[in-house]
Amino acid sequence: MNRWIGPALAAPVTLWLLLSFAAPMFVVLVLSLHEYPDPFGPLFITPSIAQFRDIVSDGFYFGVVSETILLGLGVTVITALLGYPLAHWLARMPVKYRAAAFAVILIPLLTNVVVRSLGIILLLAPEGLINSVTGLIGIPPARYMLFTHGAVAVALAQVFLPFMVLALYDNLQNTSPRVHEAAQSLGASPAVRFLTVDLPLSLPGLRSGAVIVFLMATTAYVSASLLGGKKVWTTGMLVLQEAIKNLNAPLAAALAIIMTVTGLAFAALCAYLLNRLMPWLKGKPSNPWSIPRWIVPVINILGPIVSKLLLAASLLLLLLPLVLVCIQSFNDVPQATASGFRGFTLKWYEAVFFAGTYADAFWVSVRLAVTSMLVALALSLPAAFALARYPFKGRSALLTFWLLPMSLPHVAIGVGMLRLLQIYLIIPPFLGLVAIHVIVILPFAITLLTTSVMGLDRAQEEAAASLGASPVRRFFLIIMPGLAPGLFAAGIVGFLLSFGEVTVTSFLTTARLTTLPVRIYSESTFSLEPTAHAISAVLIVFTVIALVLVGRVVRLDRLYAR
Amino acid sequence: MNVSRRTFNKLIAGAGLAAPFHIIRPASAQEPKKGDELVVGIWGGAQEKIVREHVEKPLVEKYGCKISYVLGGTGDRRARAYAERGRPSFDVLYLNIFESRQAVKDGVTQAPTPAVKNFEALYPSARKGGYGVAFNPCTIVYDKTKASKPITSWKDMWNPEWKGRIAWPDGLGAEGISALMMAARVWGGDEKNADIAFEKVKELKPFAAIQGSQAQLFEMFDQKLADLSVEFGSFTQSYVETRNPNIAIAKPVEGQALSMNVACITEGTKNQKLAEEWINLHLSEPCMLAYARQIYYSPTVSNITVPDDIKSKLVLGDADVAKLVDFDWDVINASRAKWQAKYDREIAG
Repeated sequence: MNRWIGPALAAPVTLWLLLSFAAPMFVVLVLSLHEYPDPFGPLFITPSIAQFRDIVSDGFYFGVVSETILLGLGVTVITALLGYPLAHWLARMPVKYRAAAFAVILIPLLTNVVVRSLGIILLLAPEGLINSVTGLIGIPPARYMLFTHGAVAVALAQVFLPFMVLALYDNLQNTSPRVHEAAQSLGASPAVRFLTVDLPLSLPGLRSGAVIVFLMATTAYVSASLLGGKKVWTTGMLVLQEAIKNLNAPLAAALAIIMTVTGLAFAALCAYLLNRLMPWLKGKPSNPWSIPRWIVPVINILGPIVSKLLLAASLLLLLLPLVLVCIQSFNDVPQATASGFRGFTLKWYEAVFFAGTYADAFWVSVRLAVTSMLVALALSLPAAFALARYPFKGRSALLTFWLLPMSLPHVAIGVGMLRLLQIYLIIPPFLGLVAIHVIVILPFAITLLTTSVMGLDRAQEEAAASLGASPVRRFFLIIMPGLAPGLFAAGIVGFLLSFGEVTVTSFLTTARLTTLPVRIYSESTFSLEPTAHAISAVLIVFTVIALVLVGRVVRLDRLYAR
Repeated sequence: MNVSRRTFNKLIAGAGLAAPFHIIRPASAQEPKKGDELVVGIWGGAQEKIVREHVEKPLVEKYGCKISYVLGGTGDRRARAYAERGRPSFDVLYLNIFESRQAVKDGVTQAPTPAVKNFEALYPSARKGGYGVAFNPCTIVYDKTKASKPITSWKDMWNPEWKGRIAWPDGLGAEGISALMMAARVWGGDEKNADIAFEKVKELKPFAAIQGSQAQLFEMFDQKLADLSVEFGSFTQSYVETRNPNIAIAKPVEGQALSMNVACITEGTKNQKLAEEWINLHLSEPCMLAYARQIYYSPTVSNITVPDDIKSKLVLGDADVAKLVDFDWDVINASRAKWQAKYDREIAG
């Protein structure tokens, strides 16, 4: 009997993912085998490799895919460079300040990507902050920072840096103080200790951070569209253009498949190369990392300076765009992307609160986020018990499947889901959106709740059982109170993730059902007033309040503990 | 009548397959009721504000209905309308001239009919693919302080003084098509021979930027990122008067490109009558004049009186409309996918 408990608890989440994740991915595969686009034709037709043949034989696609991969690699390197000092800073932070420091990572992470990209525009624009500051010391303005690969890389680094930091932090904070003491006793300075001890021991974190950042960066399209100004092409943008503008679903699907395969292949390669640097993980002896003696003084002098500069740069990169968005919300300019402060006004807030132009979209987002969060929690909780308490055969493979939505391109899922909804006209659009938002939340909710379940005190349950409490009473009186902090934290994070989601949502919204981030993104590509900044500033404040609330029941630095 | 189990199963299966299509109903012209919701997909900014004032307000006063807007560019709207063919969440959809004609052919939107009272007053060119609501010709717009002499021909874009300072329109939207087709016309090609246009446009590279929207272009002008582009003269006139007097709107000898905003009623809308009333109000004098006065959109109906002070800034009357350079939109629509691919490879990036 007991051996069926684990699979039974794992079944709901697996079923949900099969229907709302595996099914659209299957549809993408089927669409990619269509010979030519027919927006109103059947899904199942005689398969053809025409789309793949066209892509492979066309240098343009090869160029865009290559550029996207290079961009992804660049963003991964930037986030690693900036992420290390930040993760190191967090890991060394005294415990009582650590939760507050974590907010520096979590606030941008939970602020929607469109808003953050708009912030980067305000930073890099010809009359933006960087040129304003450099102008003060007489440096002529750099007029062409926007609409370049560099601008896209900076925006993507801003968006994905938190993921790298969280991955590195996991490892860095787990390094035993005794290892540090040993290194110190052998004469290593802090800088040398970082290079010879912390860095090698943090490579597993770097591996997972690099893989996730690379996969996300190579599939992103929102930041690339806004900061690249259509001069920079990425595969995600091509997929979107073919699916939405050209109504060419087969080509979009084939590109999505190629994007997925190349992304996963590069991620696997990256993981393989980093694994080779960590023979100890397989129990093999490793050569200690040694640094030539002559270079030690250089490291000792430059190390602290460079790390402080990188730390400052990473903090600025994470927070400055959000600050600029808040400032812009009081700026009396004609449109959202206009940089330079031209006068103080409250009219954008008036428009948000009194004209109600965003009210409908706001409430759609709230309803969607609450529903998705509740469904995700209901699915994740049994899954967490299955993982933590009822081991069964194939659990690892299943866990990989559960976490897959985090690493596969959301844009591909969107293409598939759009077609699924077209086929099943009867499915209400809201349900379609919930289906997708739940899979965005699930990987985070499952990891968070699994940690919470593992942290439960079994002795309390045993004591209650010995006193005659039924399993139901034990669940509601012992287990649920114990899980309350974890559930609350997962709920808030789930709500915010759903509330800010734009990549997949933009495929599935309808005229009567448009979420707030999608509306902002849609307007940002046409004509956007700083009203969007006002509502974003309100949301940033809302996120801060939510994190303070979460912080009262669970330490923020535990939110992403694995 | 006896029904075998096999027949019964077939009927059930058939009913199940057909079930989703019960919502595809022919357009009905039932009277609007209080509380009905009309969903309108339109561009944001000034256009949204004008229709809120001159179309929404009288319509809501008359019927007690609710109006919801979906704002943004036509690409997203069109994709959604196509995905929703037969079960539209839009009732009225604003598209550009070529998208509207294709959408009628594809069964996504309805052809115009006299059910909209002001249909009779529309110029003939505004009666295709929907109800034309504004002529807004595309032309060259440029910073005259950076020009050695005024631009009088589309060929002037090839003057070396503009090298590296042009913001070329993104893709094949209204501005992009106009720019491409005019390039074809002035350099000896046409819709059926567009390769010459691509070759000539490539000569203009490198571009300072690719402009995705008029708002983005005006920001580029403000920040001196670019000095020339192809854009709607109408909106640019408004920009010149309120923000940047340095910008000039060229009147090339070859003519300005015909471009038009078109209001379309979706096939299968449940609010047919309300949608027709909406469009009728849009074509009425107060809305047409507000468009003309605030953003210099030229009226598409001939039954209104335009004040003298704005006449010179508009396209008015048959003679003016005839001067606009029209294209063979059927050829353009048939070539769009091929041209878009060529644009992506040879012009953008």
